Amino acid sequence: MAYSTRERVSHVVRRLGIGAHPALAAGLATPDDAVVAALDLAAPPPAPPRLDPPPDRDSARDDGTAQAAFAFWLGAMATSPRLVEERLVWFWHDHFATSLRKVQVPYLMWVQHLMIRRYATSDFAALLHAVATDPAMLLFLDGAANRAGAINENFGREVMELFTIGRGNYTEDDVVAAARAFTGWVVNVPGRRRAVDLGEAWAAVFVPFRHDDGSKTLLGTTGSLDTTAAVDVLLDHPATAERIAAKLHTEIVGLPPAGAATARLAAAFRRDYSPLALVEAIVAEPAFLSDAAIRARVRTPVERAVGLAQGFAGHDRAGRALFGALRNLDYVPWLPPNVAGFPAGTRLLGPHRLVHGFDLAAVADPRALDGIGPAEVMARLGVHDVADATLAVLGAARDPAHRLALAVNAPEYLVA
Amino acid sequence: MTACPVTRREFVQGLGATVAVAVAGGYGISVWGRNPSLAAPAPPPGAWPTAAGRTLVVVEMGGGNDALNMVVPHHAGVYHDLRGELAITDPIDLDGRIGFHPALPRLADRYRAGGVAVVEGVGYPDPDLSHFASLSTWWGAAPGTIAGTGWLGRWLDGAVGDGDPLAAVAVGPGPAPALVGDTSFVVTVQDATGLAPDLPPWIDDPAELVAAWAGFAAGPVDSPALLGRVHGAIAATRAAHDRLAGALGGAAAGARRQRGTLAEFLDVAARLVVSDDVAPSVIYVHGFGDFDTHQGQPGRHAGLMGQLDDALDTFLGEVDAAGRAGDVVVMTASEFGRRAASNGSGTDHGTAAAHLLIGEPVAGGRHGEPLDLRDLDRRGNPRHTVDFRSVYATVLGDWLGADAATILDGDYERLPLLERRRSPLGPR
Repeated sequence: MAYSTRERVSHVVRRLGIGAHPALAAGLATPDDAVVAALDLAAPPPAPPRLDPPPDRDSARDDGTAQAAFAFWLGAMATSPRLVEERLVWFWHDHFATSLRKVQVPYLMWVQHLMIRRYATSDFAALLHAVATDPAMLLFLDGAANRAGAINENFGREVMELFTIGRGNYTEDDVVAAARAFTGWVVNVPGRRRAVDLGEAWAAVFVPFRHDDGSKTLLGTTGSLDTTAAVDVLLDHPATAERIAAKLHTEIVGLPPAGAATARLAAAFRRDYSPLALVEAIVAEPAFLSDAAIRARVRTPVERAVGLAQGFAGHDRAGRALFGALRNLDYVPWLPPNVAGFPAGTRLLGPHRLVHGFDLAAVADPRALDGIGPAEVMARLGVHDVADATLAVLGAARDPAHRLALAVNAPEYLVA
Repeated sequence: MTACPVTRREFVQGLGATVAVAVAGGYGISVWGRNPSLAAPAPPPGAWPTAAGRTLVVVEMGGGNDALNMVVPHHAGVYHDLRGELAITDPIDLDGRIGFHPALPRLADRYRAGGVAVVEGVGYPDPDLSHFASLSTWWGAAPGTIAGTGWLGRWLDGAVGDGDPLAAVAVGPGPAPALVGDTSFVVTVQDATGLAPDLPPWIDDPAELVAAWAGFAAGPVDSPALLGRVHGAIAATRAAHDRLAGALGGAAAGARRQRGTLAEFLDVAARLVVSDDVAPSVIYVHGFGDFDTHQGQPGRHAGLMGQLDDALDTFLGEVDAAGRAGDVVVMTASEFGRRAASNGSGTDHGTAAAHLLIGEPVAGGRHGEPLDLRDLDRRGNPRHTVDFRSVYATVLGDWLGADAATILDGDYERLPLLERRRSPLGPR
């Protein structure tokens, strides 16, 4: 299939950013121009709101923090000119999938979000170090319950299995060694009676007597390893760069890396663990702009929602409608279905998710849809090459609101 | 073309408005934070036979059902000592030792007729008292699953794969984590409108919208690979939608006061069971509760028991009237029982609890081992006597005909719950 230049530009934008950014894309003449624009970090980053730490555990489940955080985050996805930053922030949230359902404290999810944002484009090594002592992660994978003499293996296992080297590269003894190295951290929940003052509320605090400083051997490295040393061991392992490179390639290109591409990308990534450098290497692969890559991904619910927000005006209850839709689709930011992250690919094409895909249309203001015909509806969603059969269905819609609902669930918008 | 996102700011205002609702009350949103390690890979479809013609109905009592006041050990003085004013003093006696909550008269009748198995002492080692953690354990039933599959999802993967999206139906709000598999799909319905989008009022005819959308089912023959699969998925979805609509009759299930109640959920379940065209192998009813009775327990729990008795009796009556009584087994699930001692007005989170299997195929009577209320752990909870995975292994192996050891990643003793005995007092 011969895709138009507009479709190819849109391909670049939706892969390197979130959504379709139709206003931005309209000013880009070629796919190469789109790559330059999407990777440009010259504009200032979006300014996050200042959210105060809750004074105690009882008030920590307060809703306002989550509302403000989501409004900021989805707004940044929809409007920040730093496209690749938003792609990578989402990628790292999916990768280090932490759930509010277990953490229970929106403020700590917000702290983690800002931490991810800080390192998302610049430094995976710093990001992994920060994740290992992130308060939300300490609660999510039970690091705060992991202490000398009573280890909890949860984080020690997942950090190897999911976050770095992957299965087949470690033994159960390595899991125990890692867990021992990670001992000692607690979260300073305010209002809890403690024998000593732990300082800043909600911070991760290292408590020496909870740490196991005995000798351990992790992946062949022996010593009285602590958290920093254990993370460094994982960063030194070649499988870490290979797995991240292959995963990000699959995310951005829509296809797994072929042949020697993984080794090439891993080498580029390991130089200084810069995610931006890895993206640049992926984009330089011929696969990225190939016809095979275009429309090779199933568009995620968040990508569909953000694309809708970029192309159409919302109404004043759009946020609630969007949350309801994402909940029906089981694809809510901060609520990944499991520690392995959000579902992808044809898992998103089951009957339940397809029917509830219509729910996303509930966010657009129906009063702002008059006069928008089939081709323009799709163009505003960043889809330019549309089959006549699709346009015919949209043309037969009874009114503009029905047309938009059908467009949100049209084949060309279900892929990206 | 120029897009005009005129009110992006307004668009995103209020996002996350209900996240706390999801956290506080959303048992429908799943997360699998615990014990993820090694899991058996998903078996290929056809790895074991489908449960043709048989249905397992799971009724989840979210929040932690106080089973000590459902299956009351009324003979035991220690029960009355621990529970004080919360003790059930007028249970429906079953065998001189245990009795049902007085709001369960029809279930008691069914027990006496041999159609109810009481499994006492169901729990798991090193119990966690958090709703989150314990639900994850009950849903996953495989300390080791990183993929986040549920025990029935793994059964679906092996028995059905992606071949029939209606082989399992969740009834209730949101997805049912126990049904999540690697390759299989699950449909969730909330009421008799079936598989329908949640649309704003300005889109007033969901049926018309879905019908129009079916126009996308046939794609151009030269569609790229993934787009071709999308067209196929739309066609499959349309077919599932229509089968469900046919089975459910499309109309609202019952009176408005029934919305979101167990009566409505089980009315939906009954329609599915008796329909020839859907007849799912598994129906997972969730969203029944709140059983988290820290305070105000007597009235709240009695109300929930009354709903259970009423809705189950109606359901079983409908199944029986359709001649399907021999094909349906109902089982209860709940993340934990409650603390042995009363806290004054209610009960706090506990551990092991009695559960029920109901239906003509079950071996009625008492199973498992009663909890020893004189031997409590340091938090004041009884120690479990039956691993919940033994109950799962029994229904997987003896009812659904599956290889339970593979699904549960371990060999758990099966209980004689489905070996029909006619003695009204069961095997004891």
